Amino acid sequence: MTTKTCLICHLAIASILTACQSAPPPQDMARTTLETAPADLQLMCANSTAGPAGVDNMKILPVGSRAIDAQTYNVELDANGRKFNCVIDTAGNVRAVTPAT
Amino acid sequence: MKRRAFTLLALGFSLVTITNAVAQTQIYDAKTRKWIDYDKKKARQLYARNKQLPEAFRMQMVPFRTAEQPGTIIIDGNQHFLYLVQPGGQAIRYGIGVGREGFGWAGIVRVGRTAEWPTWTPPAEMVARDVNAAKWAAGMPGGPDNPLGARALYLYEDENDTIYRIHGTTEPWTIGLDVSSGCIRMNNDDITDLHSRVAVGAKVIVLMQGAALYRGV
Repeated sequence: MTTKTCLICHLAIASILTACQSAPPPQDMARTTLETAPADLQLMCANSTAGPAGVDNMKILPVGSRAIDAQTYNVELDANGRKFNCVIDTAGNVRAVTPAT
Repeated sequence: MKRRAFTLLALGFSLVTITNAVAQTQIYDAKTRKWIDYDKKKARQLYARNKQLPEAFRMQMVPFRTAEQPGTIIIDGNQHFLYLVQPGGQAIRYGIGVGREGFGWAGIVRVGRTAEWPTWTPPAEMVARDVNAAKWAAGMPGGPDNPLGARALYLYEDENDTIYRIHGTTEPWTIGLDVSSGCIRMNNDDITDLHSRVAVGAKVIVLMQGAALYRGV
């Protein structure tokens, strides 16, 4: 296969992939480049941290989050001054709550 | 070797800082099937053409899994959404504009009081830095030109006014952007709807990654 033929093949595959990508539903057609965890998942983590932290959940605030992979987020929490990390999946299952080191 | 590693580490920190500083709102362009930057200029153009906000920033019911009580307000400052928790694992979601770089904040506060067509009294620090605000130092009466718009919810920490509000706006195209001095702005129809549903005393959770100021926690 020549370089030119190979390039045409790549372009064809790329356009097929683009055509097959589905658009997000209208309500999801906005985002920011800062890929934070959805608000409900952040608050589920805050709720799950109250026990391990021994703090009322009124004193626990998510202060940062990031995607670990397509299905999991890490949420950083401030529990009355102490820092915790929470791992939660997109289904809302809290996988781990650990004090930040 | 150590020096090179240090340089790479410093570069890494710089990139993280830059990434946080330039977090950019984007909207999906159905014609080109691409995400495009949504800044103040683009937002104003689209609003002038469509006479409404992009669909994602319009009021709508969404699934929302939470242990918070119905009537709680949850603000996702990074994604520009305000949620009003409803029974049955749902929330009403509204688009919002939030504090620009350096003016963001986060915390757990409550609605201390509310007002219809509120008077706007700029805080002393805004009067000092903004000549337009200075002429209203004694207070601007409520009305269609008032920057607080049709309604305001005043946010309190215990019994103290935080000086932050959730309010309407005279610039509806700014919803979805980081534009304010720390207040949460909504278009007038949305703040009127929210005002009609919210009770004084309602809990308000403000999430804002990278915010320098935390209240009520």
